[in-house]
Amino acid sequence: MDLPRVTSSSISRAIFISLLLIQQLTAPAQQPRKVIAIAPDTIPLLRGIQISADMVGLIQMAVSDYGQYEAALKVNLKDKYFPVVELGLGKCDATDPSTTLGYKTSAPYGRIGVDYNLMKNKHDIYRLYGGFRYAFSKFSYDVLSQGITDPVWREKVPFGATDVDGSYHWLEGVLSIDAKIWGPVRMGWSVRYKRRLFHKHGDIGEAWYVPGFGRGGNTRLGGTFNVSIEI
Amino acid sequence: MRKMFWLLAAMAILVAACSTIDCSLNSRVAATYKLAGDVKKLATPLTVTAYLGDGNDSVILNKLADADSFQLPMSYNHHEDTFYFKSDTTANAPTDTVVITKEDIPHFEAVDCNPIFFHEIKGVRHTRHFIDSIVVNNKHVTNGPSKSNFFLYLKSDIH
Repeated sequence: MDLPRVTSSSISRAIFISLLLIQQLTAPAQQPRKVIAIAPDTIPLLRGIQISADMVGLIQMAVSDYGQYEAALKVNLKDKYFPVVELGLGKCDATDPSTTLGYKTSAPYGRIGVDYNLMKNKHDIYRLYGGFRYAFSKFSYDVLSQGITDPVWREKVPFGATDVDGSYHWLEGVLSIDAKIWGPVRMGWSVRYKRRLFHKHGDIGEAWYVPGFGRGGNTRLGGTFNVSIEI
Repeated sequence: MRKMFWLLAAMAILVAACSTIDCSLNSRVAATYKLAGDVKKLATPLTVTAYLGDGNDSVILNKLADADSFQLPMSYNHHEDTFYFKSDTTANAPTDTVVITKEDIPHFEAVDCNPIFFHEIKGVRHTRHFIDSIVVNNKHVTNGPSKSNFFLYLKSDIH
């Protein structure tokens, strides 16, 4: 006679425990949700304008046969996006004493692109940028020589060409960094990976130095050191 | 952040310090003649002399034998080059005169590379003592690896 009562008691206990468990599972869903208020972005779109000059080109110009004068205008949008225009004048006047060959050019170039501030805190005084540039230069170059001697026919032959038209289009991937030094003055470096898109050159051969691109051929890497003023 | 600054600075200095010479490994420009037809190898020695234009000649290929091709230079500044092909080394050996008409194209690579001339072949004419015919196969004479410029057909009854 005791057996049915024990069974009934066990069933009741199981149902009670199950209800408790269901309540535990459903309880959080029934609690009111916490609403996290997202602070509105109060940073204005236009945060400033940055004007900079490249020092590497100036040093190159002083210590080597080629270099460039380059300035850039960068617009600060929300400390996040930085559309940029870079304009410069590239010059080369090189002569090799062993071959007595000379190369001369002087022409403007331009780049346009955008940098993105990779820092987590966009408003820090340091900025780490990743970006790209599309660049173009149209120029003319001279290849100068005192002439070369034909080894078989034994006669001196003129060699060279002047006002050879050339053009270069290329892309640059840019990784750069800059920091606020004092007041509106900022300084920073950039390292650039360059990739030629298409080009034009004269019959005599490819341009040895391209304004803005640097040495032609296998040149892939470049860099700048910028001193800038942000207002 | 400071580490990153100096890392980029070091990279920029390394980049600025890099200097490469992009000259071609081969600076020799010469036209390639390949034997074709029935005679595919020189059975008798071949000597080629270039006419220098001033009344003098210069031997540019000396008694080449057992070869299936050879190279001859071209002048830097002559519209036509004249070569004397002499088969065999005896005094009465047959000699053919070959005249190559071409255009000379100065080629510049870099200021630190030796200047060279490329050529574009416009035509060829020759006598027929032991040469049967010469056919232009590739008109561009450069310093790069390329197809043979001329196919040289020699008379099989002489060689």
